[in-house]
Amino acid sequence: MTQTNRLSAGGRIDRSHGLEFTFNGQRYQGFAGDTLASALLANGVDIINRSFKYSRARGIVAAGAEEPNAVVQLGAREETQVPNVRATQQGLYDGLVARSTNGWPNVQRDVMSWVGKLGGNFMPPGFYYKTFMSPASMWMTYEKYIRMGAGLGRAPTVADPDIYDHMHHHCDVMVIGAGAAGLAAALSAARSGARVILCDEQEEMGGSLLDSRDTLDGVSAVRWIEQTLNELASMETVTLLPRTTANGYHDHNFVTLHERRTEHLADTASDAGFPDMPRARLHRVRATRVVLATGTHERPLVYANNDLPGNMVAGAVSTYIRRYGVIPGNSLVLTTSNDHAYRAALDWQEAGRKVVAIVDARANPDGDLVRQACDSGIRVITGSAVIEAKGTQRVSGARVSAVDLDHFVITGRIEDLECDTIASSGGYSPVVHLSSHTGTRPQWDENLLGFVPGEVKGMLMAGGVAGHYGLDNTLSDGARAGRQAAIDSGFDEAGELNLPTVKARRDGPACAIYQVPHEKKGLRVPKQFVDMQNDVTASAIELATREGFESIEHVKRYTALGFGTDQGKLGNINGMAIAARCLGRSIPEVGTTVFRPNYTPITFGAIVGRHCDELFDPKRYTALHQWHVEYGAEFEDVGQWKRPWYFPRNANGKKESMHDAVARECLAVRQGVGILDASTLGKIDIQGPDAREFLGRVYTNKWAKLAPGRVRYGLMCKDDGMLMDDGTTSCLGDNHFLMTTTTGGAASVLEWLEVWHQTEWPELQVYFNSVTDHWATMTVTGPEARKLMSEVTDIDLDREQFKFMDWKEGNVAGVPARVFRISFTGELAYEINVQANYAMQVWKTLFEHGEKYDLTPYGTETMHVLRAEKGLIIVGQDTDGSVTPEDLGMHWAIGYDKPFHWIGKRALSRPDTMRGDRKQLVGLKPKDANVVLEEGAQIVLDPNQAIPMSMVGHVTSSYYSPVLESGFALAVLKEGRERMGQTVYLPMSDGKTHEAEVVSTVFIDPKGERQNV
Amino acid sequence: MSDVQEFQTRPTDTSKAESPLEWSLHEQKSLPHASNPGVTLSEKPFLGQLIVRGGAIVLDEAVREVMDMALPAKPHALVSDDSGERSIQWLSPDEWLVIVPGGEEFELEQKLRKSLGQSHFSIVNVSGGQTVLSLKGNRAREVLMKSISYDVHPQAFPVGKGVSTVFAKATIILRRPEENGWELVIRRSFADYCYRWLLDASREYGVSVVR
Repeated sequence: MTQTNRLSAGGRIDRSHGLEFTFNGQRYQGFAGDTLASALLANGVDIINRSFKYSRARGIVAAGAEEPNAVVQLGAREETQVPNVRATQQGLYDGLVARSTNGWPNVQRDVMSWVGKLGGNFMPPGFYYKTFMSPASMWMTYEKYIRMGAGLGRAPTVADPDIYDHMHHHCDVMVIGAGAAGLAAALSAARSGARVILCDEQEEMGGSLLDSRDTLDGVSAVRWIEQTLNELASMETVTLLPRTTANGYHDHNFVTLHERRTEHLADTASDAGFPDMPRARLHRVRATRVVLATGTHERPLVYANNDLPGNMVAGAVSTYIRRYGVIPGNSLVLTTSNDHAYRAALDWQEAGRKVVAIVDARANPDGDLVRQACDSGIRVITGSAVIEAKGTQRVSGARVSAVDLDHFVITGRIEDLECDTIASSGGYSPVVHLSSHTGTRPQWDENLLGFVPGEVKGMLMAGGVAGHYGLDNTLSDGARAGRQAAIDSGFDEAGELNLPTVKARRDGPACAIYQVPHEKKGLRVPKQFVDMQNDVTASAIELATREGFESIEHVKRYTALGFGTDQGKLGNINGMAIAARCLGRSIPEVGTTVFRPNYTPITFGAIVGRHCDELFDPKRYTALHQWHVEYGAEFEDVGQWKRPWYFPRNANGKKESMHDAVARECLAVRQGVGILDASTLGKIDIQGPDAREFLGRVYTNKWAKLAPGRVRYGLMCKDDGMLMDDGTTSCLGDNHFLMTTTTGGAASVLEWLEVWHQTEWPELQVYFNSVTDHWATMTVTGPEARKLMSEVTDIDLDREQFKFMDWKEGNVAGVPARVFRISFTGELAYEINVQANYAMQVWKTLFEHGEKYDLTPYGTETMHVLRAEKGLIIVGQDTDGSVTPEDLGMHWAIGYDKPFHWIGKRALSRPDTMRGDRKQLVGLKPKDANVVLEEGAQIVLDPNQAIPMSMVGHVTSSYYSPVLESGFALAVLKEGRERMGQTVYLPMSDGKTHEAEVVSTVFIDPKGERQNV
Repeated sequence: MSDVQEFQTRPTDTSKAESPLEWSLHEQKSLPHASNPGVTLSEKPFLGQLIVRGGAIVLDEAVREVMDMALPAKPHALVSDDSGERSIQWLSPDEWLVIVPGGEEFELEQKLRKSLGQSHFSIVNVSGGQTVLSLKGNRAREVLMKSISYDVHPQAFPVGKGVSTVFAKATIILRRPEENGWELVIRRSFADYCYRWLLDASREYGVSVVR
């Protein structure tokens, strides 16, 4: 197929560089510099999609981000599928494959269009809600088929081969939009020395200058763009970001930009020859000042069948002709409310094709372009508008009539014009979207007939978005805004820019026209589309207002006007104007809806950046991790830490089961000696003359008399009296303590200490420092622990010299160590702390000597079993933020008579924390020894009670004990301590009910003799 | 301040020591080596690192006496001695990071404690808990921009500055001791994550890791 609509000359495309692409299975040719949209138009492809609700044939309407119809599915392979791509924003590359997102079985013959045609009038707003209301349970079924008909693009079903990343920026001046105003603003700000970022969403910078008829200093606008960009690029303080859409404008001048880095080159970065490059990048910019230079979107007129392929906005026609060398038809009718749109007709005529007529809604248009058109022999029909487009698959004609806009009627005879393209212009809407993201409401400007951005702190506007039209105005306004932004950011004035001279053009005043009247009324008018992406018609808005939706926000939600990825770019102002007319109000009284980020769709990959796969979350490792890996450990996530869970052995090529491994590890500790990597426990070094006093205030128990060389277990409550953390704290010197916390609580406990010190007790002389990572901790535990230790340390291990809850310093395996006699297993235990860089050599030496004792490494699972057998709690497992130390039966660790009111004390005297029927920690022994109760299982007293049963507690920890040869559990149970010996019941979801006896929490060695052997 | 336990944690034989990056480097079959690297990474392992907390005036007197250096009192300031081997970095209004060649830290701690006498202060040896990564090359700043939300432009981050900041999803200390080089002080347990992140972020610029 040849490029029938490609002009023989002109445009900014590279005709020496041909490209091949595929659309809906058909191969086409285009040129480098094309967008997918311009290439499709060049090839005469009229129908790009079917519409969302009515399945009407739709073609390309615009040339930029505002395009509502040409939203395609991109990607040659499953893994490169990208939904929601605007063909107008997609640079063409060789091998590009795109499809329509709507249309089944295809866009040319669409089954659903018959529904649209036959049922169109029966599909008013709220149609789905009204029609498929009952039975409600069937909605899911209806929806599946409706969705298949509608189609919104699809996500790939396999992993994306590309990567995406983020980049953080700070700048003085962030200029959004590199048209005339943005370029002038960036240049003027940059010359003052300010750090400037200039971004533009199009394939090349320059905005409307790229298709301008104007000259600057007598040379083409493109030359000026090149000069300006060259100067900006040469400045170290300037960052230029083409192909970068400012998608969100957040609080405090935080702007998110979405840069397409290889999307314009190939399906993937690898295909493009840049295998290590991110396909897209999200820039996160903090700017002192933002200059909004986003320009305007041209508003199409709302006339009947204005959605037929061949209807376009006037400016897009000029863009395709002048920038891409593509003329989207043979014969043109232009319908307009203003002078500027006359460009389309002039460009069309200069391209050598036929302009049938310009239909101007104004009675006496009179400006330079109007004169030029008349002088060129173009027929201008005044006081009139195109009221209806004719045709089925493409425009075949235009029905034109004189219109009385005050009374919203047509007057006089209707004339039929033959044409294949209708360009329309109802004026220009400043692109206020980004400013609206900040929460400010746009302001209506009656002279402009458009909304301009409301005030945003730290934001300046320049050019079209501020309502400054005409190239001379735009340039000078841009320079002013850039200069002011630099001054506001603390830079000296750089002096006036030497702006190029532009021949000023005289434009006559525009008139206000949005919806065009038709000879028929109400629902009998052929559809007049307001929002083409969401298939919202003028009559739908009329109906909404008749049904009582008076707020524009309600009208929006009832009709879907400006929803989703479109965000009301073309349709919103027209929709508001129609609502205003129907409600008998002015447009500013009706107001706008809120535009939300993102301005255009952004791929999830760019939002995620590199925070995925192995970089999704930090994995924290201990100094001994490599040994664990080599020894075949299975790992468990504890917070961000990777901790050995258990160490399965391989026997005869078969890996030991977890149950067997844990049983073996448990028995090794109870009967021989085991070793645990406990490095992940939080460790806080506390120094200062008031350290002891501080401990007394944050722990529930007493610290006044803990002597150097001694260790104590402590409980920490929040101010609500609920247990927050626990651990041992050792007195290293009178003014020096080492606190341990739970693995997960390390950071939050340090923060907790700092908060109380800094806000409540700044008079206490004490400093805290995290030493979690500095020390590696190895727990050697079991009846044989002393024997093993005696082989590797110079510390006197005599049981009278080195007692339970003592610590000593010395050498272990030739490395200076602090050794603590504390036990989380109930067995004799030594916790060895060495500087982490030397931990591996100590660990390995222990194993060299441990061979004869069958030293067994154990993981967190065995640790849990061993501690639970001793009734030792784990904060966060046996407690959940609603458990007091009293509930745990730990009154022995509460110093009610301490002189200072420690944190949580007052809360523990509240009636609720003192009531007798609170849940208390107990042990549970299943009647059937083979049963291991489910953690979280609810406890009831009467198994025969009807549902809902009265639940009196739940299981918090439950394991199989190889020593007891039985399952056992810890649980919290109402009045648990009163129920010792009673039988309770645990009904399970499978219908079984387990029986268990309430027992002490200590299952093994109740007198605690084993840890003192 | 007396009644504090001073503890030499360094053994006489340090030949078997393993730095925080040992595991990550061991995991890689061969270290990345680009022909024309935009980024060069290397670990400076086994340095002596002390966190010193206290009032600026008394600490300043002590470090002048013991180290012949002035305490950087300005927020985010980093000073080094002439050799560049000893540095003091402001971390917070009462907190400084002192980095010295490995093995000097214990004697330094003792001397500082002696000089500070009965003042209220704390000195904590964290040499095993963190390591220093050097990041060099003409694309190093872009790698940091991918990783850190703090402003690393030379106008905002001159030589002699250091900050504690968020790095991807970890916390690090970032410092700029020289014109063309950055240092990241990273926690031992996060070292692998930070290293992998840096390699990943550097990949498009070409990266070499030097041991």
